[in-house]
Amino acid sequence: MKSQRLLADFFRKTWPIYVLSLSLHLTSNLINVYFPRVLGQFTDKLQAGELTRPLVVDYSLLLLAIGIGTVLFNGGAMYLVMYVGRKFEFVVRGRLFRHFTQMSERFYAGNGVGKLLSYFMNDVTAVRESISMGFNSTANATMLLLAAVAMMIVGGIPYYLIAASVLPLLLIPAIVVYLGPAIRNRSLEVQEALGTMTETAEEQFGGVRVTKKFAAEEVMEQRFGRTVDRIRAKQLRLVRVSSCFQALVPFLGTIALIAALAFGGYLTIAGTITLGSFVALTLYVRMLMNPLQQIGNVINTIQRARASLERLNELLSQRSDIVEADDAQAVELTNAAIRIDNLTFAYGPSSHPALRNIHLTVRPGQTLGIIGRTGSGKTTLMKLLLRTYDPPPGTIRYGDADVRAIALESLRGGIAYVPQDGFLFSTTIRDNIAFYRREEPLDSVEAAARSAQIYDNIAELPDRFETRLGERGLTLSGGQRQRTSLARGIIKNAPILILDDSVSAVDAVTEQHIIEEIRRERKGRTTIIIAHRISAIRHADMIVVLDGGVITQRGTHAELLKQGGLYAELYAIQEEGNSHASAAGHS
Amino acid sequence: MRPPQAIHNWQMDQKADLNLPEQKPQYVSAFRALSGYCREHLLGFIGVLVCTVVAILSELLQPYLMKIAIDDNLLAGRNDYGGLLVICAIYLGLSLSSFAFAYVQNNLLQHIGQNIVSSIRKRLFGHILKQSMSYFDRMSSGSLITHVSSDTEALNQLFNQVLLSLFRDGLTLLFILVMLFQLDTTLALYCLILLPVISLIAIAFRSFMRTTYQLARTRLSRMVAFVAENLSGMSLIQVFHQQKEQERQFDERNGLYFKANLREIRTNVVFGRTFDILSNLSIACVTWLGGMAVLGKNLEFGVLYAFITYIRQFFQPINTITQQWNTLQSATVAISRIWTVLDSKPDVEDKEAAEGDAAKPEFGTESRRERELEFARARGQIDFRNISFSYEEGLPILRNLNLHIAPGEQIGVVGSTGAGKSSLISLLCRFYDVNEGSIRIDGTDVRDIPQAKLHRMVGLVQQEPYLYSGSIIDNIRMFDETISREEAIAACEFVGADAMIRKLERGYDTLLSERGSGLSAGERQLVSFARIIVFKPQVLILDEASANLDSHTEQLIQRALHIVSQNRTTIVIAHRLSTIRQADRIIVMSAGQIVEQGTHEQLLRQGGHYRKLYEYSQRHVAV
Repeated sequence: MKSQRLLADFFRKTWPIYVLSLSLHLTSNLINVYFPRVLGQFTDKLQAGELTRPLVVDYSLLLLAIGIGTVLFNGGAMYLVMYVGRKFEFVVRGRLFRHFTQMSERFYAGNGVGKLLSYFMNDVTAVRESISMGFNSTANATMLLLAAVAMMIVGGIPYYLIAASVLPLLLIPAIVVYLGPAIRNRSLEVQEALGTMTETAEEQFGGVRVTKKFAAEEVMEQRFGRTVDRIRAKQLRLVRVSSCFQALVPFLGTIALIAALAFGGYLTIAGTITLGSFVALTLYVRMLMNPLQQIGNVINTIQRARASLERLNELLSQRSDIVEADDAQAVELTNAAIRIDNLTFAYGPSSHPALRNIHLTVRPGQTLGIIGRTGSGKTTLMKLLLRTYDPPPGTIRYGDADVRAIALESLRGGIAYVPQDGFLFSTTIRDNIAFYRREEPLDSVEAAARSAQIYDNIAELPDRFETRLGERGLTLSGGQRQRTSLARGIIKNAPILILDDSVSAVDAVTEQHIIEEIRRERKGRTTIIIAHRISAIRHADMIVVLDGGVITQRGTHAELLKQGGLYAELYAIQEEGNSHASAAGHS
Repeated sequence: MRPPQAIHNWQMDQKADLNLPEQKPQYVSAFRALSGYCREHLLGFIGVLVCTVVAILSELLQPYLMKIAIDDNLLAGRNDYGGLLVICAIYLGLSLSSFAFAYVQNNLLQHIGQNIVSSIRKRLFGHILKQSMSYFDRMSSGSLITHVSSDTEALNQLFNQVLLSLFRDGLTLLFILVMLFQLDTTLALYCLILLPVISLIAIAFRSFMRTTYQLARTRLSRMVAFVAENLSGMSLIQVFHQQKEQERQFDERNGLYFKANLREIRTNVVFGRTFDILSNLSIACVTWLGGMAVLGKNLEFGVLYAFITYIRQFFQPINTITQQWNTLQSATVAISRIWTVLDSKPDVEDKEAAEGDAAKPEFGTESRRERELEFARARGQIDFRNISFSYEEGLPILRNLNLHIAPGEQIGVVGSTGAGKSSLISLLCRFYDVNEGSIRIDGTDVRDIPQAKLHRMVGLVQQEPYLYSGSIIDNIRMFDETISREEAIAACEFVGADAMIRKLERGYDTLLSERGSGLSAGERQLVSFARIIVFKPQVLILDEASANLDSHTEQLIQRALHIVSQNRTTIVIAHRLSTIRQADRIIVMSAGQIVEQGTHEQLLRQGGHYRKLYEYSQRHVAV
């Protein structure tokens, strides 16, 4: 496991930008602190009666120049760091996505999409905020504080007066750090309560039939009402702290001002400082309030970002369990027999084996049918054949090569796999079918669609094969999705085709057409068909029955019917259902 | 742009399909709708107003006090330190009261806002729940959820942010203007020239920023959607060895989002700086004009000082108020969406309600005793008379159907998908109203029976039992506390679910998570049978479960079915002939009509559809 140092790597590349930004912040604030000083000088000139008309114009222009200078340098400094922050986000998200494409199914079994998305969104954003917004606020506030104090000293304001006026202000970040987490916790509670309410509404609208059927509307309204009341309570709880906080920050500012007024005023009357210095002092105090509040915010942001950064580093240091061997060979699968030899497999060290003592050979060109109940291990077997999980060494061979020694690209290029769920992407139908080779000409896409019995449905759509699916596009029915996914497998024209219960949502007649089409097209090429329904596999060269991870029966359709057992049982049940459906359909 | 908000937004967009063309906010009607709620809290709002005034006072008077200090104490050269201390004391008092009143104001406003929002939430939910089934067919549950949770949340922000800012910043602006005029009218008039310029720039920039923000949000949403989809389809991508291509497509989206971000940053920075430059420009102006005036002795220096400070304060509230524009807009759209929902009327209504009688169906307040008596009287005779029905005009589902069921009779219904079996059931439950004809239970038209009563008279067991999150016992009695625990347990013993439930770690108090996950399909079905028993319906409809159950559970369920249907009018929709062989009468449906009926033997003798069906099943089993 290589430990990751996401941020360190990033800073190594971008530190000059940060240095530049910091110096711009410094310049901006050095200019900024002249503002009270100029106004102070103006006051002194006025008091001394030395003010003239041209001098007034000069002072006005000087103030304008200070303002514009401050603003421009500050804008430049902020832009640089915000730019770098977004760049960080861009780069890290790219790395994360590449990492995701490398991880194996075992990883996805343990990490839900929601969790991975939260790495991708929340954690990356949290880190970005602390290295851009956080940096800007800190740099700005620190530079301003330093420049202001320096300026006051240069301007002849005594240390003790500066200390007395600025000290109450320094309490502001302390209070933010102290109250910040409480506010955050309470606001999380509000979010949670909102989530609960949404879930309750979701549940109610989903089960509205049942609710109505039991005339339980009022009870359900009360249940929902309770979640609403909870939000209200939590929200008010949050406001109690947050409003206290919001009132406290300006209050500390006024305390600082009062100190400046009382103490500074006294010194002015006593003649220790000029009226100009006094004016400047009050302006400095006002100037410092906002940036100091931001520093507090930053401290809280950084604390959250640190946890996010750790999570990201941890995620990126994980390695996939399916690794291509260094001496992996490309293997031609066209004439390769599939040999499964004493295969026993469990998903975890402590879990029950999903497959036990499987012996099976599929000769090149044969069609194998696999049948069994849900959870009997059919799909697990296919996952091992495709090496999305690693089988024990030596148990699965293509020709003479162990599956673990074959280059992944050649293995997966040689097998066309059609999963049960008919997963399609939110692109055009054409891109979905030609998923393996996107540049495939339209003719062959259409041919594949015809074989999968989906052509007529697609031809009816407004944009035909260019119709977009999902998101803001069209939704296909379960059967249509399965057939489109089947076309995606067929067009690959691979030496081995695996149908993993791929026609389960298709009606019986269409299923029959599909199976005939597959038999015709796959003549002489290896095909594995997994099914729930016997009609899909009855013509296979060999049929195996899986039950509880063990092969319990094998043979042709006729042999298995004669044998009795699970196969014959399934056949009896299914044939009754089928004839029922078709007979009723005719009536 | 809060981080978790992004995912949340995206999910909400997905759910409600809200990437639809944006609705134009209709401010007038939206706020008329809300005004009723606000009137209730009029006193509270006045309180908020008063608190706000006191709360902003110290901030506002500070420059003025400073002016007095400068002009009357410091510049006057009277060395009047006592006077200065008085000013300090006044200032301290002011800021203490500001502190207190700001706190009260914030809490009070939130209190009012939360009260309004929660009563709207409850009303909205109750209203949706009262709609008839056809409404739920029409509306996606996603969009309903969005109305209840995210639209009302937008409303919440109206009180949380917009009103707060309007009160606080609006009043601040007003007071600053008053103070400026108070200090010096001419100078104030000069400053006033600035106001339209600032507002114009602010508005122009805000709308520009909104479009860049929208662009970034849309691109982000697309990128997240892409990643989410690729994560769920990752095994497919790997099996087809398409990692490179998907990475390329991701980079494209990531890059577009990055560009939109940079645009957003640039706009933000430029806008912020322009605003700052404007503020500096006006300060320079004031210094110049004021400086000249001071020279001519028309103006005290303290006034100039106060002016400069006020001008600096002036920009902050303007900035904050324009920031509220987005929130205001989305809240307005949300309000009009909420009121569209509240305006819809249920298709199926109780007679009295439909006739404009305000009286609520008395069922809710009825005592349990009366209810039981009512049910005991019901015998369960059902008459479908000449009914016709269609969901959409021109596509009739049921045509001129007649069916009479005697009390206690057991009816099996067979027929292919689309023959109208489920529609028949939905009409009996009055999820919909018939187009023609009538359905009577014990001689009373279902349209004359209050829905609540009807729904408890007719029990329905669905293929997919629906359980709520909560304890098992509460699921059995549908959270109705008037039903005792013993009664619920007795029902479970009756259907044979008791042993299964007691085996669970916390027995009847086991908490089910969403949709009863944690129980198997068969166990969920058993719980739903017990639920039916508790409510003792006189008519029972079973939409036969065809799920893959293991043989033990299947047996349990068959037995439970048998027990539940004793002494009740029962209608079973069958998927396998074997389950309805024993029925008193079997109905064969096709294309919205009854084509055959009779007992199993009669139908076999008749030699029609049913016989054909039966023979098919027999022959194939025999192979």
